[in-house]
Amino acid sequence: MTESEARAILDQVLAAAGQREVEAVIGGGVSRLTRFANNEITQNVSENRVELSIRVVDGKRTGRANGNDLSRGGIERLLDAAASAARIQPEIPDLLPLPGPQTHQRVDADDAATGDLDPDGRVREVRRAVERCVEAGVTAAGIYETGRGTIGDYGMLDAMAIANTNGLFAYHRGTHATFRISALDGAASGWAERESWRASDVDGAALADRAVDKAIRSRDAKPWDPGAYTVVLEPAAVADLLTDLSWIGLGALAVQEGRSFLSGRIGERVMGENITLRDDPFHPLHRGSPFDAEGIPSRATTMIERGIARGPVYDRPTAAKEGKESTGHSLPIPNTIGPLARHLVLEGGTGPAEALLEGIERGLWVTRVWYTNVVDPKTATLTGMTRDGLFAIEKGRITHAVRNFRFNQSVVEMLQGVEGLSASVRAGGVVCPALRIRGFHMSSVTEF
Amino acid sequence: MRSLVEQALDTARQRGADYADVRLLETGREDLQVKNGQVGSVDRSDSVGLGVRVLVRGGWGYAATGFLTKDAVDACAAEAVGIARASSGLLRSPVRLAPEPPHRAVWTSPCAIDPFDVPLERKLDLLFRVDEALRGVSGVAIAEGFLTFVKKRQLYVSTEGSDIDQTIVRSGGGYSATAVSATEVQRRSFPQAEGFHQTRGYEFIESIPWVENAPRIGEEAVALLTADPCPQGERDIILEGSQLALQIHESVGHPTELDRVLGMEANYAGTSFLTTDKLRALRFGSEHVTLMADGTLPGGLATFGYDDEGVEAQRWPIVEKGLFVGYLTSRELAHTIGESRSRGCVRADGWHHVPMIRMVNLSLMPGTGSLEDLLADTDDGLYLETNRSWSIDQLRYNFQFKTEIAWEIKKGRRVRMLRNPTYQGITPRFWNSCDFVCGPEAWKPWGVTNCGKGQPGQVAEMTHGSAPARFRKVNVGVGYDD
Repeated sequence: MTESEARAILDQVLAAAGQREVEAVIGGGVSRLTRFANNEITQNVSENRVELSIRVVDGKRTGRANGNDLSRGGIERLLDAAASAARIQPEIPDLLPLPGPQTHQRVDADDAATGDLDPDGRVREVRRAVERCVEAGVTAAGIYETGRGTIGDYGMLDAMAIANTNGLFAYHRGTHATFRISALDGAASGWAERESWRASDVDGAALADRAVDKAIRSRDAKPWDPGAYTVVLEPAAVADLLTDLSWIGLGALAVQEGRSFLSGRIGERVMGENITLRDDPFHPLHRGSPFDAEGIPSRATTMIERGIARGPVYDRPTAAKEGKESTGHSLPIPNTIGPLARHLVLEGGTGPAEALLEGIERGLWVTRVWYTNVVDPKTATLTGMTRDGLFAIEKGRITHAVRNFRFNQSVVEMLQGVEGLSASVRAGGVVCPALRIRGFHMSSVTEF
Repeated sequence: MRSLVEQALDTARQRGADYADVRLLETGREDLQVKNGQVGSVDRSDSVGLGVRVLVRGGWGYAATGFLTKDAVDACAAEAVGIARASSGLLRSPVRLAPEPPHRAVWTSPCAIDPFDVPLERKLDLLFRVDEALRGVSGVAIAEGFLTFVKKRQLYVSTEGSDIDQTIVRSGGGYSATAVSATEVQRRSFPQAEGFHQTRGYEFIESIPWVENAPRIGEEAVALLTADPCPQGERDIILEGSQLALQIHESVGHPTELDRVLGMEANYAGTSFLTTDKLRALRFGSEHVTLMADGTLPGGLATFGYDDEGVEAQRWPIVEKGLFVGYLTSRELAHTIGESRSRGCVRADGWHHVPMIRMVNLSLMPGTGSLEDLLADTDDGLYLETNRSWSIDQLRYNFQFKTEIAWEIKKGRRVRMLRNPTYQGITPRFWNSCDFVCGPEAWKPWGVTNCGKGQPGQVAEMTHGSAPARFRKVNVGVGYDD
C-alpha cells in the first residue's frame, strides 16, 4: 500500500470519527515464502493482507477494534466497537491524550526488485542452494522469504501508517529478504542465514556452502563434560540471547516494576567496559521504522555505554512516570508489556570471528542457540540448546565437533566476561558481533 | 461469500490446478486485560479472508487474500496456481494425497452461552474482582488478569467435492500475582500459566472459582520470595496436571508430528528422535504411560468436526502402555508410514496461513488413585506446580522446565514450599521412569494456546488432558547450580 493509498483510508477514518478522539493504524503488505526440505520444495505461499486498527480515546477511557474490512461500513463498525469498548470501562488515571503532529526521519528501505520478486525468482535461488547441498551429499532444508510491508513472523503486524485526530501522520514502508538454510547429514547439521532489505544481497549458493561446511565438520560429535567454558558465540547466537534480554530487561516498565536487571542500577557498571548496547532503527543494517506504534519518532537510544547502565527504552506512559520524554519504543497503547527495543545494536570490534580463536586453550565454538527461555528474569538467566555446529577449540584451533549442550547462563554475567568482539553484522534481527566469552555455563549434554 | 469461494475453486481449476481447496474464514476475537486496578486493554478484532491451496504437477502453491472482491479472489487463485507451477520445478517426487471421502457437513462446537453476547461490563467486573482480591494480599506487586474469546466460522470446499461449514467457539482466561524483591521475581498463576481455555461458551468461564482462589495465589507469590531454594540433585518428582500437559506437548506431541519426523521442519523447529524405524518398536515410556491423540475430545482446543484439509476428526493411540505406536499425520504424508488415511491433524492459523500438521488434543490416560494417594505413597520427593519456563532440543531429547512453585514431600506429607524449582531430563528415560499416574478424578483437559510452528510462524492451540504423575530420579535444581 502506497503512502497516498494509506492516507486516503486513514482520512476516511478521521472524517468518520466526528468529534471523537481517534487513532488509526494500518499494517500489512505482502509476504511470500518458499520453503524447502529433503532437497525439494515442500511449501510455497503468498499472503496479501492489510488490517486497520482504530483506537478511540474518551477522556480517561480507551478502546481498540481491529479489522480488515476497509469499506466505509467496515470503518464505521470499527469506530463503534472501539467507542463501545471505551465507554463501558472505568477510567485509566494514567491514560495520556493522543500525541500531536511529529516529524519523522525518512528511512530508505524499499527495494522494488525485492518487493516484486516472483515465485520463479525465489525458486531459482533455492535451486542454486539445493544443488550445492546435493553435490556435497547432504540434505538441504530452509526458506527464502521476501516481502513488502509490515507482516512479521507469526502473523504479527506492525504499523505502516498512523494518523490521529490531533494531526499526527506517519508512514514507512520497507522490503525484506531472508534466506535460511540447514544442511543435514544424519544428526550432524550446519546452518547459515542472510537478512537484508534487498534480495540482491542474498546468495543462496554461498549460504549453502557455509551450511554444508558446518554439516560436514559436525560429523562424529564427541561428548564433552558439562562445565564452564570459554566460548566463541557467532552473531546468530549473540542475537538470540540479546533479543531475550530486550524482552525481559531493556524496557522501562520492567525496570519500573522491579523485574529487570537494570532496576535500581541505572548509572552503575553492570557489564564489561567493552559492551555498548543501543537500539537504533536507523542503522544501515536495520533500516527499521522511524516511529513507534503511537507515531512517536523512534530515537537511537543507548541502554548500556561502555558497561554502564544508561537506562531503558521508553514509551509515553513510562516516560511520563519519570518526567522524561518517550524514546519512541511503544507497542500499541494501552498494553501491559511496556516499551520494547526491537532494533538492537551491540557495538562490535574489528576483524572476523575466527580471529577470536587465538589463545583459547580449550573452549567451544557455538554457531547458534535454540529454544531459549527465561529461567530467572532478575539475573537475566536463560536456558537453551546449542545447535547446527558446536565445535571444540583446542590450542587456538577448531579441532572437532562436540555433542550439543544445554546451557544455563545469565546474559548480564556473560556480557561482563567478554574477551573479544568481531566486526558486527546483522543476524537474527540484531546487529551484533561474534563474542569471545569466558565462563559460559554448559549444564547438560544431549544425545547428538 | 459462498460465491467467492466457488469462484476461487473454479479459477484454480481453470488455471490448471490438479487439486484445489479453498477456505473462507471469519474470525472474531475479544481480549480483555486488567492490570493493577486498571484496564490493560479492551480489544475487539475481526478478520475475514480466503486461502487457496493447490497442487500442480505434484507441487504445492498457496495464496491468501483479505480483499474479498471478485478480481482479488481471481488474482489470488491464479497466484496460487502460478506458485504451485514454480514449486513443481523442484520436486523429488510429486505430492500425492491419501484418499478421504468428500464430506458435506455443518459442524458446530458446543456453546451454551455465546461469549460475544455477554456484556463487556460483566467480563470486566470479573477481572476487577479478581484484581482486587490479588492486590488485597500485602506484597503483591503486579496483579494481572485476562479473558479471551474467539469465534471462527470456516467454509471449506475442495475439487474433490467436500463442502464443510464449521463454527468453533472458545473461551478462556487466567490471572497471576507477581511479588518482587531485590533479588527475586516470583509469580503464581491460576488456573494454569497462560490461562485455561476450552472450546465452550461463557458457561466455561462461569464454572471456574476465579475469585475464591485469588487470595491463595497472591499469598503463595509473596511467600515464594523467602521460601527455601529448590535443592539440587536427583529426586523423585510429582508433576501437577498443567505442568505435565506441557511436558506431554513438548516431549510427546512435537516429536510425533510426522512432518517433523520426515525433515520438513528441519530448518526451524527441528526434526525428531522418533524416526519411523521406532514405530511399534521403541519402549517410549513405562507401562503406566498411554497417550491418546483425539480430535473429538469434548472441550478440547483442537476439537473439530473436520481438519483444514477436510479429514474427519479421529481418536487413536500414540503410546500404548509404554510402546510407541502412532504419529500425527496428514493426507500428504500418511503413505510414508504405510497408512491409507490421514489422521486429520492439519490446521492453519487463520486464512492467511497455509494448513500444516498441528498437534490435535493429546492426553495421558488416567491411572488410579487421587493426588492425596500419590503424595502419601511418596517417601521423599518434590511436587511441582504450574509452568514458568520451558525449553527442549531440536530432536526433542533434552528438556528443561521450571515451575512456579514446588513442595517438598517427606514420608507422604508436604513439609515445605520451595522456590525456583527446575528439572531436566532426556525424553524416553524420563517417560520410562513414570511409576504412578493419578486416576480420572484428578484428570483435567489443560489447554495450550501459544504453540508455535512453521515458517512463516503459526500459532495453534490444543488440549492435553492429564492427572498428576510421578517420575523417579529426575535431575532437579538445574540452572541455579552453576
